[in-house]
Amino acid sequence: MKKRYFLAAAAILMSMNSCSGFLDQDPDKILTDNQVFSDATMIKSVLANYYGRVTWGQNISDSYSYTIIDEAAKSDGGPDTRQDFEDDRWRVYDYTLIRNINQFLVSLRATTALAKSEQLAIEGEARFLRAWTYFNMCRGMGGMPIVGDEVFEYVGGMDITTLQYPRSTEAEMYDYIISECSEIAEYLTETPSTNAARATKWAALMLKARAAVYAGSIANYNNKMANPIKTAGGEVGISADKAAGYYQTALAAAKEVISGGKYSLQLTKPDDRGKNFYEAICVKENNSEVIWSRDYIYPGQTTGFTQSNIPASHAEDIDRCYAGPILNLVEAFEYVNDRNGEIKVKDENGNYIFYENPEDAFAKKDPRLWGSIIYPGAEFKGSEVVLQAGQKLLENGKWVTLTGDADSKDANGLLITSVNGPAVNNNQYINKSGFFFRKFLDETPQSSTRGRGSDMWFPRFRIAEAYLIACEASFELGNNGQATDYINAVRERAGIQDLSSVSFDDIVRENRVEFAFEDHRYWDMKRWRLADKVWNGVTNDVNAQQWALFPYKVNAPGTPNDGKWVFEKQADHMSPYARNFQLKNYYNFINLDWINNNPKFVKNPYQ
Amino acid sequence: MKIISNILSFFLLAVLFTGCGLDNYEEPQSKLMGKVTYNGETLGLRGTNESVQLQIYQDGYAKHDPVAVYVNQDGTFEAMLFDGEYKLVTRNNNGPWVNDRDTVLVNVKGTTDCEVEVTPYFTISNESISLSGNTVNASLSINKIVSTATVSSVMLLVSKTAFVDEGTYIARQNLTTGAIGASTLSLDLSNNTDVAKATQLYARIGVKATGADQAIYSDVVKIK
Repeated sequence: MKKRYFLAAAAILMSMNSCSGFLDQDPDKILTDNQVFSDATMIKSVLANYYGRVTWGQNISDSYSYTIIDEAAKSDGGPDTRQDFEDDRWRVYDYTLIRNINQFLVSLRATTALAKSEQLAIEGEARFLRAWTYFNMCRGMGGMPIVGDEVFEYVGGMDITTLQYPRSTEAEMYDYIISECSEIAEYLTETPSTNAARATKWAALMLKARAAVYAGSIANYNNKMANPIKTAGGEVGISADKAAGYYQTALAAAKEVISGGKYSLQLTKPDDRGKNFYEAICVKENNSEVIWSRDYIYPGQTTGFTQSNIPASHAEDIDRCYAGPILNLVEAFEYVNDRNGEIKVKDENGNYIFYENPEDAFAKKDPRLWGSIIYPGAEFKGSEVVLQAGQKLLENGKWVTLTGDADSKDANGLLITSVNGPAVNNNQYINKSGFFFRKFLDETPQSSTRGRGSDMWFPRFRIAEAYLIACEASFELGNNGQATDYINAVRERAGIQDLSSVSFDDIVRENRVEFAFEDHRYWDMKRWRLADKVWNGVTNDVNAQQWALFPYKVNAPGTPNDGKWVFEKQADHMSPYARNFQLKNYYNFINLDWINNNPKFVKNPYQ
Repeated sequence: MKIISNILSFFLLAVLFTGCGLDNYEEPQSKLMGKVTYNGETLGLRGTNESVQLQIYQDGYAKHDPVAVYVNQDGTFEAMLFDGEYKLVTRNNNGPWVNDRDTVLVNVKGTTDCEVEVTPYFTISNESISLSGNTVNASLSINKIVSTATVSSVMLLVSKTAFVDEGTYIARQNLTTGAIGASTLSLDLSNNTDVAKATQLYARIGVKATGADQAIYSDVVKIK
């Protein structure tokens, strides 16, 4: 019994003793403003956080983003039943990030830990990322509130209407982006950064050029529509008289980047233009092409694009063949000396054209096709990528088709269907369109494994865009000679014939093939107001439907065509519906919750 | 022991059964039935993919989200609502009619009928669609209602279900030079594998005005 009292007393004593303070440690994961902004490395790591938060739209960390438009089709699992585009497709509304950047700017301007020039350079980078964020919001929704450097603070009981900013006009938004870029171009370094991962003066000028050419084309092409898309307050729509000014701004900025001399249309392998094009975009070492990219690095920062999309014959892990480029895009690439890029599969009498090798069907194509897409018979990592849908047999004078499972062989040991496909079924891990991605597909060993991933970068601006913006702006300003010079610079590097003059369709097409899979096409089609015409929702339309190309090997012993290859074009069965871009899709809808929170917002047209 | 477990399971049952019911709102009971009309005639519209929408607002609440009401292909619509006064408006720039954001006031009490009167760019009359052999023949008269409107396309659509519109069809013939007044279209179905597989065929004619996001349609006709 006594022992029990003793224990109780001990317990009480111990409980009274606990306040020694050994638990009162400063947290090492929450830092105060003073701690961060008194150290240069810390400041840069905050900035790095913002760089990691600005990837939107089509990009390699989201493989399916390529199957939305007419660039690629889904290959894994069940069909892609997309017909319409969502009201919030690739919509960006990130005032959290803008507020964080503004908070950063307040403390950055007060710090003494950095030399003045470095302080300005970092301010330039932060403001560049803010302008890029506004740009991504604007191209989806039109004008949105411009909050400047203001950091909003809510104090209980205050009048919240002072925090509610109305939407700016679309023109004001582009003007703001352009003026920010002009200002920070003076702060930023002229020296290209490692792997183009950080913003430089040239990145700011590219953003300026792109914003200006977008604004110019909206001022121009929107007003040429039967029913121009605009709101009464100008939140959407720019008046036509502003077009010329924007094109001039775009031209001047693009010219400055070109004459700056830090970047050039990379041409290190003039004898192998296809490989040259691939390396200009996909290889980071000694790259003179890319101005700003989302860089990735192993370990830690990798993407699964290569793992998802590698051909089955070259796969290093379970995953493969998630999506494949489509014939629509392949045929947009010209031939070296022929502007009609159609793949010839039948002669004028409707008979098959027989090719010795599958790759012969793509002979003399724009070398950029090789650099962007793996077509049947092309090599990847030094070995051929076999794409064989089946065999063509001759029965009673008629061609019949024999197909099988992946990697199936007939009685004579001849391949029926390749492990890569293409196939018409709902199986996973087999191609359905007849093509694989090459652009952004990483050749590094182990980069297609789940464990490692790929550290392929994703270029956002590269020098070829400066040329094509200069071309477009010159063309719209009526200087066709200068436009022709700029487009020919890009075409010569690619390795195809020069043009003698430029038409609007030439510009559309050149952008499509040069920047395939680089998040240009969707926005270009929108700003040119072509999207509703090209993606018109008509079944089996040459553009709106997704098309596949199936290669077959002829198995007809004793006939002259035995062992040759034929091709068939067909609607891609994985994507049964034609893409239908409606007028309402030109601008994302404004979320009704935002309007409830801020009644000063107006809705977009068609909403 | 047995008694205790019996009592416990009784309590458990009681708890399970009393969980719901008290805190839920009653669902709306009143039905608003309406149609989109011009001169009293209902209009043929696209009834799939939420293409044609009306918006219902109710004043006096903090939030201003509209309730979206989807219009069927025969121009009718339905919504279940609570009794009360509502505002009905067409969605901005949506539909084959002149954009008009005038609101229709509706006092819903029990089952209520209403009409939303619009001014279409065109109407279709004297339409006839028939199948002879493998060819669909159609004739129609296009009446211009809005003097400034121009025809962007006239389409003859064939579908395997009773839903026929610009986005739901298996065969289609387009006339891009649609003249005002009478016109004819014919569509050859002989090489269409979807048609060969279909046991029933329905057809419809649509007329789209330049700059409009939707077409106006004739009635759906069963042709096979």
